[in-house]
Amino acid sequence: MIGSLKLKGNSDAALAIVLLVAAVLFCVLVPLLWPLDPLRGDISATFKPPMTVVGDTLHPLGTDQLGRDLLARLGLGTLVSFGIVLVAALISVVLGTALGMIAGYYGGWVDALIMRLVDIQLAVPFILLILLLVSVLGPSMTNLVIVLGLTGWAIFARVARGRTLEVRELEYIDASRAMGLSDMAIIFRHVLPNIIGPQTVLLTLDLPRLIILEASVGFLGLGVQPPMPTLGNLIGEGRSVILIANWLVLYPGLMIGALVIGCNLLGDWLVRRAESKVS
Amino acid sequence: MKGLRFLLSRAIQGLIVMFGVSLLVFFALFLTGDPAVLMMAPDSTAQEIAEFREAMGFNDPIIVQYGRFLAGALHGDLGNSLRYSRPAMDLLTERLGATALLALSALLWSSLLGFLLGAIAAVRRNSPIDFAIRVISLLGQAVPVFWLALMLIILFSLNLRWLPSSGYGSFEHLIMPSLALGAYYLSAITRLVRSSLIETLGENYIRTARAKGLTEWRIVVRHALRNAMIPVVTLQGMYLASLMGGALVTEIIFAWPGIGRLAVEAIQNRDFPVVQAVVLFAALVFVVANFLVDVAYTWLNPRIRL
Repeated sequence: MIGSLKLKGNSDAALAIVLLVAAVLFCVLVPLLWPLDPLRGDISATFKPPMTVVGDTLHPLGTDQLGRDLLARLGLGTLVSFGIVLVAALISVVLGTALGMIAGYYGGWVDALIMRLVDIQLAVPFILLILLLVSVLGPSMTNLVIVLGLTGWAIFARVARGRTLEVRELEYIDASRAMGLSDMAIIFRHVLPNIIGPQTVLLTLDLPRLIILEASVGFLGLGVQPPMPTLGNLIGEGRSVILIANWLVLYPGLMIGALVIGCNLLGDWLVRRAESKVS
Repeated sequence: MKGLRFLLSRAIQGLIVMFGVSLLVFFALFLTGDPAVLMMAPDSTAQEIAEFREAMGFNDPIIVQYGRFLAGALHGDLGNSLRYSRPAMDLLTERLGATALLALSALLWSSLLGFLLGAIAAVRRNSPIDFAIRVISLLGQAVPVFWLALMLIILFSLNLRWLPSSGYGSFEHLIMPSLALGAYYLSAITRLVRSSLIETLGENYIRTARAKGLTEWRIVVRHALRNAMIPVVTLQGMYLASLMGGALVTEIIFAWPGIGRLAVEAIQNRDFPVVQAVVLFAALVFVVANFLVDVAYTWLNPRIRL
């Protein structure tokens, strides 16, 4: 029983790592090594289905309405989307962890204020808030990263606060205080190491939300502007020609699915591992 | 008594949240400095912008403007749509029915099926059925709603020609949007019900029931499901925001005449009073729904009710 459970957990982790490593290799190696230009196409080779050879060039995933190679565009698009999501996630986790630790450590009105900000943040659907901010600031990659990062902090703050409340009660925190350590020193040296683990797990589980959110904004045309490809842009552009070229929508969606399943399996496995360690 | 006090404090928190959202929605327009420039067409002359600024009251002190905005909002007046020259609130209420139909139908089928699949997976855990259900729920959460929607269109509209690819007005029009929107939710509910039921099935009172010789299904239905509902109900409120976000994209794809499409069109047309109205409304729905969740939670959990 225990043996099979362990095996099941490990096969999940193995699948997750295979998916994520494959996706990362794909989005690094294709832009680097694949010779075709993702931004410029061959007007005489539009809407070629996957595995078409035009002249002496092979298009493994076909071409789009401008004759651009989908493999090249998918490679660059995955890289751009994944890059945006990772930087945004980093902003969220740093901001959320800092505010959560401050709320949990100081308590009182600071805590109440930060937690109400969390409630307010979570009350507005992310996509609506992001569309509002992007439409005010103008669509660009920098604005998208900042807005995605600044709107994702709430979950991290809530969890960091909960952990900080537990850690705060431990005896060695009292001891550090008695030794005259400043609040900031205690938070960074003694509280932070205790919550980095749970925050990393949460980050893994939050990445799928960000991947889909970034793709949705791109799909609606309010993300990174064309001709630059992102996973959402590719699907959004392919949507209008879905009648004649469904591969333009199919492959970017499969890539999103692979990334999301990879992150979800990895996150679940990390949660299970953390739980079994505790028990 | 304890339950009432809990609900009262939650209600006050809800009011604070709505106040905060109103600040957010109001000040978002001032992020670039001049809301008049933001709202006017890019080729407007300086004269036109100045006249518009005066007409909209953007020259008043900002606190006066916010006061006016808040007072209006409390009376259901969120200003006029710049594009349609009609109250933003009217545009919103006209579209309300379509979105409610879409969201509630998605919620209904996915909750019912999610409970069923979750319960089967919990009772038959570690069996091939459990594995199959797990794969389904992983896939359901993995793909964005707009991609799933496009795949459904390719399959059911283009290839099989069973369903209309977009539009509104009949049951056939509702099927694909509702399927696409509910898929993510189905996965979430299934996973939640499964894990929550497995936990409950390990409790002592369930062992007692089992010792009495009740069948596993009877135990689940009569004893475990009620307790297993608590975390499921608590998380429903959280999922509502993502459901509304999903509805927005779904409506775009299927040309569904709801609030989501209104919002995206308003954003593309720089019709900010309408955008503000939609954001405020979405937050209100979220806050009210979460309050109802708290009421349900108090009802399901006698420890709080007393």
